[in-house]
Amino acid sequence: MWWLNWIVGFVVQIILLPFARMNPWMGMIVISLLTALLMLFIYKKTSNQAGIKQAKDRIKAYILEMRLFQNDFKTLLATQKDLFLANARYLAYNFKPLLVMIVPIFLLLAQMNLWFGYRSPQPGETFLLKVRFIKAMEVDKLNLDLEAPLGVVVDSPVLRIIDENEADWRLKIEGETSQPLVISVNGERYLKEISTARNSLSRISTVRIKKNLWQELLYPGEKPLPADSCIQKIELVYPEQRLVFLGIKFQWLVAYFLLSIIFGITLKGWFRVEI
Amino acid sequence: MEKEKIDEGLNRREFLQLILGASASLLLTPKEAFLRTSGQKETGLKVLILGFDGLDPVLTRRFMDEGKLPYFKKLAASGSFLSLRSSIPPQSPVAWANFITGTNPGGHAIFDFVHRDPKNYLPVFSASQSLPAKHNLKLGNLILPLSGGEVKNLRKGRAFWQILEDYDIPATVFKIPSNYPPVETKQRTISGMGTPDLKGYYGLFNYYTNEYKTVTEEYGGGGRVHDVFVIGNRVEARIPGPNNPFKKGNPETYVDFKVFIDPVNPVAKIVYQDQEFILKEKEWSGWKKIRFDFLPTQGVSGICMFYLKEVRPKFKLYVSPINIDPAEPALPISTPDTYSRELAKKFGPFFTKGLPADTAALENDILDEKEFLAQDEIVYQESMAMLEDELRNFRSGVLFYYFSNTDQRQHMFFRLIDRDHPAYDEKLASEFGQVIEKTYQQMDKALQMAMEKVDRNTVIIVMSDHGFNPFRRGFNLNTWLLQNGYHRLEPGARPEEVTLFQRTDWSRTKAYGVGLNALYVNLKGRESQGIVEPKEKESLIRELAHKLEQIVDPKTGERVILKAYVSQDVFSGAYVNEAPDIILGFNRNYRISWNSPLGNFPRELIEDNLQKWSGDHMSAPEVIPGILLSNRQVKLENPALEDVTAGILALFGLKIPPEITGKPIF
Repeated sequence: MWWLNWIVGFVVQIILLPFARMNPWMGMIVISLLTALLMLFIYKKTSNQAGIKQAKDRIKAYILEMRLFQNDFKTLLATQKDLFLANARYLAYNFKPLLVMIVPIFLLLAQMNLWFGYRSPQPGETFLLKVRFIKAMEVDKLNLDLEAPLGVVVDSPVLRIIDENEADWRLKIEGETSQPLVISVNGERYLKEISTARNSLSRISTVRIKKNLWQELLYPGEKPLPADSCIQKIELVYPEQRLVFLGIKFQWLVAYFLLSIIFGITLKGWFRVEI
Repeated sequence: MEKEKIDEGLNRREFLQLILGASASLLLTPKEAFLRTSGQKETGLKVLILGFDGLDPVLTRRFMDEGKLPYFKKLAASGSFLSLRSSIPPQSPVAWANFITGTNPGGHAIFDFVHRDPKNYLPVFSASQSLPAKHNLKLGNLILPLSGGEVKNLRKGRAFWQILEDYDIPATVFKIPSNYPPVETKQRTISGMGTPDLKGYYGLFNYYTNEYKTVTEEYGGGGRVHDVFVIGNRVEARIPGPNNPFKKGNPETYVDFKVFIDPVNPVAKIVYQDQEFILKEKEWSGWKKIRFDFLPTQGVSGICMFYLKEVRPKFKLYVSPINIDPAEPALPISTPDTYSRELAKKFGPFFTKGLPADTAALENDILDEKEFLAQDEIVYQESMAMLEDELRNFRSGVLFYYFSNTDQRQHMFFRLIDRDHPAYDEKLASEFGQVIEKTYQQMDKALQMAMEKVDRNTVIIVMSDHGFNPFRRGFNLNTWLLQNGYHRLEPGARPEEVTLFQRTDWSRTKAYGVGLNALYVNLKGRESQGIVEPKEKESLIRELAHKLEQIVDPKTGERVILKAYVSQDVFSGAYVNEAPDIILGFNRNYRISWNSPLGNFPRELIEDNLQKWSGDHMSAPEVIPGILLSNRQVKLENPALEDVTAGILALFGLKIPPEITGKPIF
């Protein structure tokens, strides 16, 4: 799983890196456009284009029929039944391409969350580091230590929440760093990437999880912790990032879907894709 | 009907809810539909006014002479330094209203912090009034307002920045008291003293502890103690919010929160809504947003600070009053309404509550002196940062900028510079006896910043609304009226148990005291149960004024009331008839007691003030004038607040409107 994430991540990085110092909208527009092209390509290759065209034509015809025979109740009922069946057929034609598309889209969304989901804290700003342990561990009996690299300060003593199997620290950014945090649990060391990047668009991994297929899909930012690790999850609670347009703040996912749909609809004619 | 309610035993809390709770329903007040800008004229002349609330001329002079206020001294040397005559009475809302309108209380109708409703004799806020929506649609438990509520600024008369606006002269007015909600203008203004917290109070803190503790929920403020249990290193509690105007009975809203405590370390994590943060013991959280929902689609946003006072052995968590969020103001706090958002965007959340530092928390031993000062230091730092920004953008017209620290700290720390104060504490004095001096020095820093940032042609005015004096002894006006037969209670009533005049026999009562300096006669035709015939009013007032001025404190041998002002003699303007009949001008060291202003009858006529609130300004104005410094020569020998207003208008060559009674100071 890690290798797949790594490859997708590398591709996304190649695409977005040129936009690191630009307004995040630039990167968002480009990746939405590329997504739209990819989706159109997959859709065209995996769907029954002729069948979709026929289904849509029939839907149009049935709608017309309903208008023409609106005074003929019996015909109207029959047309409604046909319209329903044509709609079902249309949806059935869409099922296969959607099933194929869902895999790259999911991988892409997880990667995009790393770029657009969060921002690095500003110098002086504090944030939490949360370490969740596996259930077998008794947090209050662990020997815990946290080493922060230069540029990051451990701003509070450890706070252990026994019920939640969790240990938290408050950290503060004081400068830039490229070194990871080191969490020691009974002498065993675990690393966690920490981003202090000042770029308007940068890849920020807030979560590192223990090896687990589903979790790895959701959090592809870092190599997972070993399967026998006593830590379930390490999380940096960074501020969420919003894309601002005309004073309106957009969650990146909303912006991404809107742009992808707009690009998809705009370009479908050029690529002769029947949607 | 109101009387019946009182007879049924309207308690203090119910009363507060009655007059304050309605503010929540105002949250639907329609917002400004379009953006507005301030005056555009490039005036060439700039006038900067720094308003330091309560800066006392005697202390200022002393610190200047000792070389502790170099920029005050420099400014005085370049122009003038005079005492500034305050208002009658010299309370901040009254005094600043004098300055705002350039006239006396008869012209602006603010006579005291608290007025009374002649229909029911109950105290009401003098500065603003909250009116709920007029039309509602009721669906079961739901109430859907069909129109917006309203908050009314009760101050009358035009503000000087409105007059400047007539001539297109720009003005920025930062947190001037007596301007909530801000009056209609295109100028940039943000409201100050008088602005409530999100619950509609003048500041209501919350305190969570597993230690036995009580606090007072005062008129318009105070705090609430919440008993909590620490179970498994976890505390669960709720933060009360505004009343829900969409539900029948307007129940109080709340936000649940959890506190996780480390089993060993003095540290805790607070979690609510999307907020999650760690606090060390004795640490402030900084501003945190909090949202109170009325309906799934309707709610209001506020801001508050958490202070983890103690983790163990006792758990103690203080939550500041919920301030109106300047980024999403639920109530009108600025003009244009985008101004507070602009500031929030630049500086993040900031204090919007009128009197920002929590004096009630210090008074109730929830915060100690050091903790209170830490909170007020945040206020000061916020003010300084915003002042710097305003000075940077000050291109034309008038900039008025207000500091509250001087007033609030003098109120709370006068006991530590006055060895004769009943609450003087040697140990505390050694630690905090310099607070007032240091506060004056901080104002000197603000002046330094201003003097360094403005050009030579800028007229600088430094002013305060009044001075300060110790509040050693409290006078129970209603007790005096009772003892002298001017006020009567129902047979069998025990005076010390009466509150809000609940057992007053109005059919035999001639006078009563409500507010901090005010005395009213029970006038027929004006008061709902008035008995004093209009023709007898004059003689009764003169008789009362004469007797009040004769009162001597048996403990000190000093007169308690230096001057009992008859309103008709000292006020002029369209609203004189709304004034209290007599305004008490107390002697130095005296003030109204804590209980008398709300219609109570304590046993003692004059009692020691043992509270931390130990400095005050309810004396006769000649006892505690304010200050006036300027880099221009002031031509008046004994200027008053309203003369400064006239002076500002005159500087721009404007015609002084007839309703302004002040004379130009320059």
